[in-house]
Amino acid sequence: MGEAQLGLPLPPLTLEHWLSVWSYLPTLLQGLSVNLALLGGLLGVGFVLGVIVALLEVYGPRGLRLFAAGYAWVFRSIPEILLLLLMWFGPAQFGLSISPFTAAVLALGLRSSAYQAEIFRGALQAIPTGQTLAARALGFSRLQAIRYVLLPQALRLSLAGWGNEFAVVLKDTTLAYAIGVVEVMRQARYIGSRDFPLTLPAYILVAMLFLVVTYFGLFLLGNVEKRLRIPGLEARR
Amino acid sequence: MALRRVAMAFLILGVVLSGAAAEKFIVGTDASWAPFEWVSAKGQMLGFDLDVMRMIAVLEGYEIEIQDIAFDSIIPAVIAGKVDIGASGFTITAARAEVVDFSSPYWSSDQTVLVRADSGLNIVTALMPGRKVAAQRGTTGAFWVEDNLIAKGVAVELVLYETYPEAIMDLLAGRVDAVVQDQAPSEQAVRQYPGKLIIVGVIKTYEEFGFLVAKGDPKGILPRIERGMKKLKETGAWDNLVAAYFGNPLGVIEAAWEACISILEVGKDPVAYAACLAQKVKELSK
Repeated sequence: MGEAQLGLPLPPLTLEHWLSVWSYLPTLLQGLSVNLALLGGLLGVGFVLGVIVALLEVYGPRGLRLFAAGYAWVFRSIPEILLLLLMWFGPAQFGLSISPFTAAVLALGLRSSAYQAEIFRGALQAIPTGQTLAARALGFSRLQAIRYVLLPQALRLSLAGWGNEFAVVLKDTTLAYAIGVVEVMRQARYIGSRDFPLTLPAYILVAMLFLVVTYFGLFLLGNVEKRLRIPGLEARR
Repeated sequence: MALRRVAMAFLILGVVLSGAAAEKFIVGTDASWAPFEWVSAKGQMLGFDLDVMRMIAVLEGYEIEIQDIAFDSIIPAVIAGKVDIGASGFTITAARAEVVDFSSPYWSSDQTVLVRADSGLNIVTALMPGRKVAAQRGTTGAFWVEDNLIAKGVAVELVLYETYPEAIMDLLAGRVDAVVQDQAPSEQAVRQYPGKLIIVGVIKTYEEFGFLVAKGDPKGILPRIERGMKKLKETGAWDNLVAAYFGNPLGVIEAAWEACISILEVGKDPVAYAACLAQKVKELSK
C-alpha cells in the first residue's frame, strides 16, 4: 500500500524532452489564439449584457430590477462547466446546431455578464447622488444624465474590478475543451496523447503561456486606467 | 446599433441554416488512441478510423467534419444528434447496439494486459485480488474487468481514466499495477516507453469494431459506409491502409500521411492515396 501511495518516479525528463516539447510551440500558440478569440467573444458578450443588467438593477423600474437581479443570480450560481454543457447539448434539443465555439462564447459570456454587471452596479452606486441632481438641474433628462454623466464615470471606476474579471475569464476559456473546442489545453493533451512522456512538459509550457498573456493583459489595462484617470478627482496611486 | 444587432442575428441564423443544408456529416472520435485516431505533431487528426471515414466520404460523395470528443461522450452525442457517425474503435456490444446502430465489423481485437517491465508481474499475478487495474472509462477493457473479474469475485480495484494515456502515466508512476486495453494501442504504448512497459498477456475477447450511427439510421448513412468499405476492400486500398497504420512508429506514419493526403483531399483518389501511404511508410521506416 505504501508503495502505491508514494508512487514511483516517472522515467526522468531529459533535455531532449524539453527541446521536443519546444518544437510544439507553434501548435500551442495556434491553440492559444483560439483561447484569445474565445476571450474576446465572451468579454464582448459579457460587457454589453453586463452594462444593460447593471443599469436595470440600479435605475430600472421594479419589475426589470427584479429580472436583472434574477439574471445575475442565475448566471452566478451555475458552475461554468455545467453552463458549457447545457449550452452545447441544450439547443440540440430544439433542432438548433451551434458550434462548440459559439456555445462556449455564449455560456462563458452570459456567466461573465452577470459578474460584470455586479462590477458596474457597484461603480454606479458609488457615484454621489448629488451628481444626478446637478445634471438634472442643468436640464439633462434622466437618460441623458446616465449616458453622459454617470455611466462614463462608472466605467472608469470599474476598470480595476474589470481587470480582475479579465484575468479570471482568460483562464476559464480552457474549460471550453470539455465541449470539444480545440484550444490550447486540448492541444497540450494531444501532445501528451501522441508522445506520452511529454505530458508534463506540455502542461508546464501552457502554464508559462498563460503567465505571459495575463501579464500583458493586466499591463495594458493598467495603462488604460492611468490614461483615463482624472487628476485630482480620485485618490492617487 | 440596433440594426447591426438584427443583421448579426440574421447572420447567425444564416450560418445555422446553411450548415444544415450542405450534405455534411459530423464524425465523433476520441483523438487520443493511436493508431486508430490521434493528433499529429503538426496538429492534424489522423488514424486508421479517420482515414477510412475520409476515404468513404470521397467514394460516396459527402463531406465530413471530424470532432474530437471524450470517448464516453460519443454515444450520448450521437443519440443527441450532435454527431452523425461514431468512429473511435467502438467494439460492437449488445448493450451499445440497443441505443445505436452499428456498421458491419471492420476490425477484430483482443484485450491485452500491460504492466511495468520491472514489476515482475505475469498475467495471473497482475490480476489478483487487491491489485489496482486501470482501464479507460466506457471501454470494453473496463467492462471486461467488471464482468470477468469483479463480478466473479476476483476483487481487483478498477481505476477508470478519461483517456488512455492517463492510465499509462499512472501505470508508470506506480499508482496502478496493470492496464487492460486493446492490443494495437497497447503495442503503441510499449513503443513509446521501450524497456519500461511490457504486455504480459492477451485476453482473447474476439471483439469486433464497428462504426456507429443514431438508432434507426435516420440519415441513411450506414448503407453508404457499407458500400464504401466494400469498395475499399475490393480495390486493395483497405490492406494498404492496414499495412501503413499498424506496427509502425507514429512519426513515420505522420510523415507519410502528410506526403500523401493531398491525393485523397485534392485528387479525390482513395486507392492511390492508400497505395502512396503504404509505400511511404515502408520507405521511411527503413
